[in-house]
Order: sequence, then C-alpha cells, then structure tokens
Amino acid sequence: MSLLSAFNRQCQNAPDNIAFIEGDRQLGYRQVLQRADQLSACLMANPCRRVVIALDRGIDAAIAILAVLGAGACYIPLDIKNPANRLNYIINDANAQYMIGKGQRPGWLETPALWLDIEQLTDAPQIASRPVEASAEALAAILYTSGSTGTPKGVALSHRAMCNFADWAADTFRISQNDRIASLAPFHFDLSVFDLFSSLGCGAAVHFIPAGLTLSPSRLTAWLSEQQISVFYTVPSLLSFIALKGSLAATPLPDLKTVLFAGEVFPTPQLKTLCELLPDVNFYNLYGPTETNVCCYWPVERKRLQTGQTIPIGYPACGAVLQIDAETGDLAVQSTSNLSGYWQQGQLINALSADHYYQTGDRVSLNERGEYCYHGRLDRMLKCSGYRVEPAEIEAVLLQCPEVISCAVIGITDATCGQRPAAAVVLKPGDRLEAVIKPVKQKLPVYMQPCKFIELETLPYLSNGKTDYQELHRQLENN
Amino acid sequence: MKKKLRNFIFQELVFVAEPEQFSDDDNLLEAGLDSMGIMRLIMFIENEYGVTLPDTEIEPDNVQSFNALEQWILRHQNG
Repeated sequence: MSLLSAFNRQCQNAPDNIAFIEGDRQLGYRQVLQRADQLSACLMANPCRRVVIALDRGIDAAIAILAVLGAGACYIPLDIKNPANRLNYIINDANAQYMIGKGQRPGWLETPALWLDIEQLTDAPQIASRPVEASAEALAAILYTSGSTGTPKGVALSHRAMCNFADWAADTFRISQNDRIASLAPFHFDLSVFDLFSSLGCGAAVHFIPAGLTLSPSRLTAWLSEQQISVFYTVPSLLSFIALKGSLAATPLPDLKTVLFAGEVFPTPQLKTLCELLPDVNFYNLYGPTETNVCCYWPVERKRLQTGQTIPIGYPACGAVLQIDAETGDLAVQSTSNLSGYWQQGQLINALSADHYYQTGDRVSLNERGEYCYHGRLDRMLKCSGYRVEPAEIEAVLLQCPEVISCAVIGITDATCGQRPAAAVVLKPGDRLEAVIKPVKQKLPVYMQPCKFIELETLPYLSNGKTDYQELHRQLENN
Repeated sequence: MKKKLRNFIFQELVFVAEPEQFSDDDNLLEAGLDSMGIMRLIMFIENEYGVTLPDTEIEPDNVQSFNALEQWILRHQNG
C-alpha cells in the first residue's frame, strides 16, 4: 500500500490524461512519471531516507514529491518564505540526506544535506532503476507545524495514514478523471494531501492557482471559471473573501460542483452568502488536526445555516473512532490516518495513547442529531488563516531579544478573519518596543507575526501566580 | 485620509517597527498586508468613506501603498 500505487495505475491506464497545469505549462501523467522517475534515480545514487523539498508550490515541487516517494524516501516540504533560522531548524531536525531546490545551493543553509537543483536534473540522462514499493508503515511525509514547546514540530505520516485519507476523500467526493482540481494549499499544509494524492489517484487534473490571485478575489473567480474547475479545497478565510468581494453574481461557475473547507471555523453569515451565490455547489466542512488529518466532516445543509449559530463538524470520517472526555470535552481520535509520531532530532517520538488514540486538545460535544460540534481549544493554540500557531513559539522568539523581560501572546478574534496573534511585552528599563519588533518580524513567518504589540510594566497575574489571559485579552483588544 | 488609513493599517493589520519611517510609497504587501488584511481594509474604507469599491478593482496595484490607496478611494469619492 504505497501512496504512489493509485497514481502509478493511472499512469498505466490513462497516460495521456493531463496531470498538472500551471500557467502555460501542462504535463500529462506519462510525462510526470518520466520526470519523477528520473529524479528518483538521482536520489537513489546514495542511501536516502528523508528529502527536504525547498520549492514553491507548483509542478516542480509536485514532481519532486513524487520522485522522493518513488525512491522509497519521505518528503519534508518547506515553506521557503519562512525566515532562514526557522528553515535551518527544520532541516536539521529532519536530519535529511538531500534537499531539492531550484538554482544554486543558498548561502544561508547550515546542513550537511546534499543539494539537488531540479532544473539541472531535467536534462540528465535517465538511469535505469525500478522505483521502490514502500511498505505501508514507512514514513511518506513529515509536515512541520508550530510547536507548543517553542520550536516547530514535525508530524510524521506513514503511507498507510496518507492513503487512508486520500482514498476516503476520493470516494466520498466522487473524484473522477473528468475532474479539474484547483490547488492553492502549500505542500507543507495538510490540505495539499487531497490536492495531490486524491486527484492523481483518480486520474484528475491538478490546476495550480497562480500566486497573487488570492489578493484579487474577482480575478480568482474568473480563473476558476476559465479553468473550468470542478473541485476546490481551501480555507474559510479565502472563501469568505470570494463570497464578499469575488464578483460571483457576475461570474457563475457552472463547472464547480464541490467545495471543501477546513483549517478554521467558517463564519456562518459568509458561508450563507457563498451558498446563495453558488446554489448548485455541494459544500463540505472538514475537520481534523494535521496529526489525524480529516476525522470529521459535515455536508453543509443550506437550510440549517443561521446567523449566530456555528456549523457542526459533523460525522466521523476516514473510518475514525471518536471519543469525548466526559469532564473536559477533549476529543480523542483513533484512526488509520493518525500520525506515526512526532519527528524530533532525527527520531520518531510516540504521540498516541496505548490504545492508539490521539488527544486533539479540541473541545467538542455531540448535539441532539448525533453531530459533533467544535467549541475551541483546551490549550492556547491559535488558528490564523488556517495555519496553526502556538503562542509559545512566538513567545520563545520574543524572549530571545535581550530587551525582553517577559511576554505573553494571545489570539485576538476578528469577526471576518478569525484569530490573529497579539503580544504583550515587558521590557528592561530604557529599552524601546521598536528594538524588539524588527528582529521578531525577521524570525517568524508572516502568519505568526503579532498584528499588535503592547508594552506593559508587568504581565497581569491571577492569585495562583498564572498569567491572567482574560485580563490580557481585555488590554490587547481595547488598546 | 492617509492618517486615518495609517492608523487603521498599523494598529490592526500590519505591525511595523517604526511607522513614521514607512513612507506613503513603501510597499504594504511586502510589509505583511495579506488577503485577509485587504478584506478588512476594504470593509473599513467602505464604512469610513461611504464609497463602494468595485470587486474587479481589488488588485495588488490599488492596495500596495498609502498613495495608491488614497488615489483609489478618491477616484470613487468623486465619481
């Protein structure tokens, strides 16, 4: 059971189908397989277990991922827009043998891993070698997310786990070779597992959304129309933008049949607007942390969308067994899609209970219809534009500044955009906030950067000595 | 107008170390204004100035700096 099995079958059965479209570039299944095999052969010249992908979302990165899997190795996609210190941390934590990028090896890299330039390889002669069939338990990917200990955390996923989700989604949403799937999620984001593997497993075409269109919703809508996109999986904040400002009334999308969303709570008023503008589209709310991938889903019932009510996360997905802790409401998930463990310093660390449950830290309940409903986090984790952000990781970066005595990061909630991090900082006497903000902005990816900073003489504390987050909310939201 | 836009953007959407050093031509998108920020900014502008900014004009060119924003708003206030 390899993540590539279904793709390989499509390459045999329908080699001339279009696999990828990006701008003017278009590749069929046979061409994609040829290029991936070529790159696999290069990787297999040396023992190779883990390969970092240092490429932007697009055809080249997708081919690199297929090549890594074809070589029997595990891929680690980077967000190459992250600051160098964070990238170096991830690359070294992953302990990879190779990195695949474009052009020359960048100067900031601090790793013994070998650098492969994907542009040089396309002209290399093909070396005869059979791709390796990976075992189901072998790791296929490590997706790094924000970590509560202050450093990024690698979620290690097996072929079995990723196949389980990819196959479930392909069946549930009836993906076929006639589908045209719009892909926006970067590959380090788990939404991309659907874009790549559910699509390629069914012989569908993956259309990469040009970068920049997310800043211009009506151009994005026009693109969806031109490309005759039939399936789109993305985050609610972008769909809200399209609903409110995407000229949908003037741009009907007759080919669009399925829209999936996940990553954060979709505000009901915007979802209602979107449903009204796209009356023939089936919408699905998908839920699950990276550690379990989708474990709950709700086919949106239009007549139940009422302003002031949050939509449910629905029913168990991907064969997951769900348990709610009677006292705390913490959701535990037992699923074939569950992670193999956290990847830390070159080792796999167990993340599941003895009976294979993953504790999500999400507070949920069951409603009278038997649907699961999400009520927020039990800890301090934030969701910002669909990204998971641990305040502790931002605090750790703040505390590296010599000017900072103490600090606390919370999420400010906005009616249209969900959460954004905000920071309260206590400085050494005579130091200025400006001195702190600049280095912090250089060390954190954009979605983790606090949108607001305030300076306090001391953090508010409760009588038990813990930080008073309610008081912090009051101060940061009123300031 | 630019003062109000500055206050809103720097307090709510993009945090820069020294706002007074940020010129009216400096690039807001490079400073961290993203699609969610643009959506909030447009709602703020439409409320504050009583204009309707056409969906089709929501483009990087119109939101990339304070000068671009002001010209965009003025075109619709006068028209």
